[in-house]
Amino acid sequence: MSAVYKARTGRQGVPLIDGVDKVTGRALYTADLDRNGALVGRILRSPVAHAEIVRIDVSKACALDGVAAIVTGADCRFTYGVLPIAMNEYPLARERVRYRGEPVAAVAAIDEETAQRALDLIEIEFKELPAYFESKDARAPDAVLLHDKKPGNIEREVHHDFGDLDAGFAAADLVREHRVTCAEINHAQIEPHACLAEFDPVSGRLTVQDVSQVVYYLHLTLARCLELDEAQIRVIKPFVGGGFGARVEVLNFEIVTALLARAAGGKVFMQLTREETFLTHRARPQTDIALRLGMTKDGRFTACACVVTQRGGAYAGYGVVTILYAGALLQGIYDIPAIKYDGYRVYANLPPCGAMRGHGGVNTRFAFETLVDRMARELGLDPFAVRRANLLQAPMQTMNGLMVQSYGLAECLDAVERASGWKERFGRMPPGKGLGMACSHYVSGSAKPIHFTGEPHAVIHLKLDHDGGVTALTGAADIGQGSSTMVAIAVAETLGVGLDRIRVVSSDTAVTPKDNGAYSSRITFMVGNAAIAAANNLKALLTAAAARTLDAAVEEIVCEGGYFRVGDMGQAALSFKEVVAAALVDEGAISVKGAFTCPVEFQGGKHRGGAVGSTMGFSYAAQVVETSVDDATGQVTVDKVWVALDCGHAINPLAVAGQIEGSVWMGMGQALCEETRYLNGLAAHASFLDYRMPTIVESPQIEAFVVESHDPNGPFGAKEASEGALAGFPPALVSAIGNATGVDLHEIPATPDRLLEAIGKSRLKAAAAARKARAAS
Amino acid sequence: MSVELANISIARPATIEEAVALASGPDARYLAGGTDLLVNMRRGITRAARLIDLAGVDALKSISCDASGVVVGAGVELARLIEHEEISRRFPAIVQAAAAIAAPGHRNVATLGGNLCLDTRCVYYNQSEWWRSANAWCLKNRGDTCHVAPQGERCHAAFSGDLAPVLLVLGAEIEVAGPAGRRRMPLAELYVEDGRAHLTLAHGELLVAVHLPADGRNAAYEKVRLRGAIDYPLAGVAVAMTMQDGRIESLRVGLTGLNSRPLLVAGTEAFAGRAVDDDLLKAVDRLVQHQAQPVRTTLAAAHYRRLAAAAVARRLVRRLAGG
Repeated sequence: MSAVYKARTGRQGVPLIDGVDKVTGRALYTADLDRNGALVGRILRSPVAHAEIVRIDVSKACALDGVAAIVTGADCRFTYGVLPIAMNEYPLARERVRYRGEPVAAVAAIDEETAQRALDLIEIEFKELPAYFESKDARAPDAVLLHDKKPGNIEREVHHDFGDLDAGFAAADLVREHRVTCAEINHAQIEPHACLAEFDPVSGRLTVQDVSQVVYYLHLTLARCLELDEAQIRVIKPFVGGGFGARVEVLNFEIVTALLARAAGGKVFMQLTREETFLTHRARPQTDIALRLGMTKDGRFTACACVVTQRGGAYAGYGVVTILYAGALLQGIYDIPAIKYDGYRVYANLPPCGAMRGHGGVNTRFAFETLVDRMARELGLDPFAVRRANLLQAPMQTMNGLMVQSYGLAECLDAVERASGWKERFGRMPPGKGLGMACSHYVSGSAKPIHFTGEPHAVIHLKLDHDGGVTALTGAADIGQGSSTMVAIAVAETLGVGLDRIRVVSSDTAVTPKDNGAYSSRITFMVGNAAIAAANNLKALLTAAAARTLDAAVEEIVCEGGYFRVGDMGQAALSFKEVVAAALVDEGAISVKGAFTCPVEFQGGKHRGGAVGSTMGFSYAAQVVETSVDDATGQVTVDKVWVALDCGHAINPLAVAGQIEGSVWMGMGQALCEETRYLNGLAAHASFLDYRMPTIVESPQIEAFVVESHDPNGPFGAKEASEGALAGFPPALVSAIGNATGVDLHEIPATPDRLLEAIGKSRLKAAAAARKARAAS
Repeated sequence: MSVELANISIARPATIEEAVALASGPDARYLAGGTDLLVNMRRGITRAARLIDLAGVDALKSISCDASGVVVGAGVELARLIEHEEISRRFPAIVQAAAAIAAPGHRNVATLGGNLCLDTRCVYYNQSEWWRSANAWCLKNRGDTCHVAPQGERCHAAFSGDLAPVLLVLGAEIEVAGPAGRRRMPLAELYVEDGRAHLTLAHGELLVAVHLPADGRNAAYEKVRLRGAIDYPLAGVAVAMTMQDGRIESLRVGLTGLNSRPLLVAGTEAFAGRAVDDDLLKAVDRLVQHQAQPVRTTLAAAHYRRLAAAAVARRLVRRLAGG
């Protein structure tokens, strides 16, 4: 039985351990680092969308006083890319450019003005090629290929077929299909991209400080692209001002800054403008979805067929994973007897897409939940009842080989149904107001790592010294999500000491053990388990030392509240520091480690691409959105949101509540007003004025509930809490708009122009139907 | 994509006369709150070697109210305008419009005069140097083609100030100081329908004050935009209406965000004597749709902006009639 409670009024949790540093401005972000003696790096970007590079002449720029180094594609002949199977991008274009804004050359100079003048002096001759800005144009039979051996400009096709689809549709009382379009969006993290790289020509060592979420991948890629031994490289992540997936693969400017530092034999600082940060992109692709569902008259799903086309931009990036997630995450949330999925990841002459919070699953969830809602309406069923008719029973394995070990979706549904007053209010809202609901889920880390090395998924080192302080060394990148605080709590709770005894040092490849990084919501599950394992190892050493000092057997020692004692005999207890002193005798400073590995049975199905979607545990969420629609202008107001998330166990309820609100809010941005727009491939959205994230004015009250289903494998029973609640918002809002207006939108964001057009069409249709009815009678 | 400003000199005059004298040189621009000018300078679409900072000119910051009318200095910050008791009592529409501009941080420094003299905006113009260069510039800046209407001769960039339509329907006049002395004129005469040069101010002329009638209570402003703050109007509509015995005595409609100038809709005097009913609302709708000329200067469809303007005009007329 899961415990349902309100995050704000239940266990309190603790503020993030670096929170005060951040709000007081003490925290140093990459752009705040000591730039003394650093050259200024700037990138020259392609003004054209698709062209062969005929000639690059940097001689005039080189001759300019104050220019220390210039690099072009000729300076790096190695491709990079986050997936070993799809590395098709150069840090600086060689031979061909494929999108407007692609880096072509870069300069390091004594100041910004000189760097800009040098860029202006670089001469490039392009031979333009046809450019494609829409999936259908890129897929046209006569389209020029962006990449060799990728016919039809398709990066990856996926065809997955589970269960008996024909039998499923035959068993349905209602079969409906709809097509939806989701605009491309961007992470829009507040901190622009920045990198400080220093190359020491004497030792040949490179030190890079950077905004990355994936310090280890950056380390590997720098070694590859600069032909350096990995041992010559150190990568450090200072404080990071938001990631959301923007920095979850190595980015061109990071390699370019390192190339410049080596070429200049010194220190180079590169800070991208907001526009360049948008052009670096790697976010959620524009997606077209055709979805067909079969349902019985009592709301049971019988079959699902889904075709997804993602416009992936000019390079592979995470594309293969994104198009696989879009299909894999149709499973693991409801019981659907047959699922067919066809996915197409398409190249286009636009900035490359990548991973973004809710990676791969968000747009398919939008298509699915809105269709479920519309079919429920047609069958006269309540949206909650339909979800309840299709719940899974944990533990179970899905048709595509995903393991569901804990499942709190039923409790999530109960919580938001009750809190929103759904039963009393749905169908009885005043004109212009509506309610909508949807469910969603997400993985707690990919169970199969991108780079197979045979190493554990996570390793934590703990150091204990004379001061009685425990230093946790983790490669896990805290990007604001609170992972360092989670590590501190996991270690402190396991050792039975206060948080003030724990320090966390994170993300410095010279100091911290390797970690794959902050993505796919892997850190709490994997690093949390590793932290508990490490703390248990340390606790065993301390318990042994306490047993020696107290002259008792190890198994008699009880450790709690910062003290070690023998059973409950009332014998004098040893304080934590006394035990530390005893443990250090003859040994000196202690180092222990803990590791965590996802067992192979969790690593997904045997079919091609079956590893994507695999995880140790899924989070589940349900939400209700209340909205008001102005049908004269099409403007939508989100009045209130009720959301419940099953995160297994809230290690830090305060942080969990923040992450739930953050996911809902980010889902709201995508649903309401965020979208990238290109004019002939030129990004017309590349500022915070034109890329419209919601502001505090349109941020609704969000009532968050935590459901704890106690995952058997999670750290203290925990699962992820940062992404699961995102994907439910867009369908819940669009269903609420439908409830308010009677208009079914098939596009997001639900901007006023789109909505007014849909309202107008729906009125015309209604008028035509009325005329027809009159004529018939 | 330069984000750093080139070297500029800044002068800080104490009086209007000093400011006007300093501004006579080429490449000089007046600087008030800087929320429009500095952004445009960083993007390279406005160039100025010399800025005349008006922060120290006290004469631009006064608000005087008496029975004959209200005079507001052009240097009055929007936040002060919003908080001013007499202004909110006499002109609620001014407060509605000012409060809809940008965000609190901007409103603390942005001024009445700055909002009235806002540069026109276009998706092809308000972009970085790199962007505009990659797009072969445009008619408003260094180029010879308007990307919005390539066949045409003129620039279609849209005026997007929120206060102008309100002041137009209130019948405001402005006072301008220049090398040749002061002049006073109706606000409408500040603007012409040309996105490249929409202000009639001569070089060195400075908008110093806005003259309002004694009262403008029965007016309202509403703005259509994609998000609730930090967003220019896709369409902004101001309506001022007086009623006599249930019939319209006077009705004025002002528009912004649509044309290259804020527009006082022509022909509304014909509505005098009519009741506010469905026919009247339809007529208002038609008039607005006819005179609003939005083109593709924003990413939102021009057609939508026209429809939204008409819908808001209808709604405001109904609301002001007490319906």
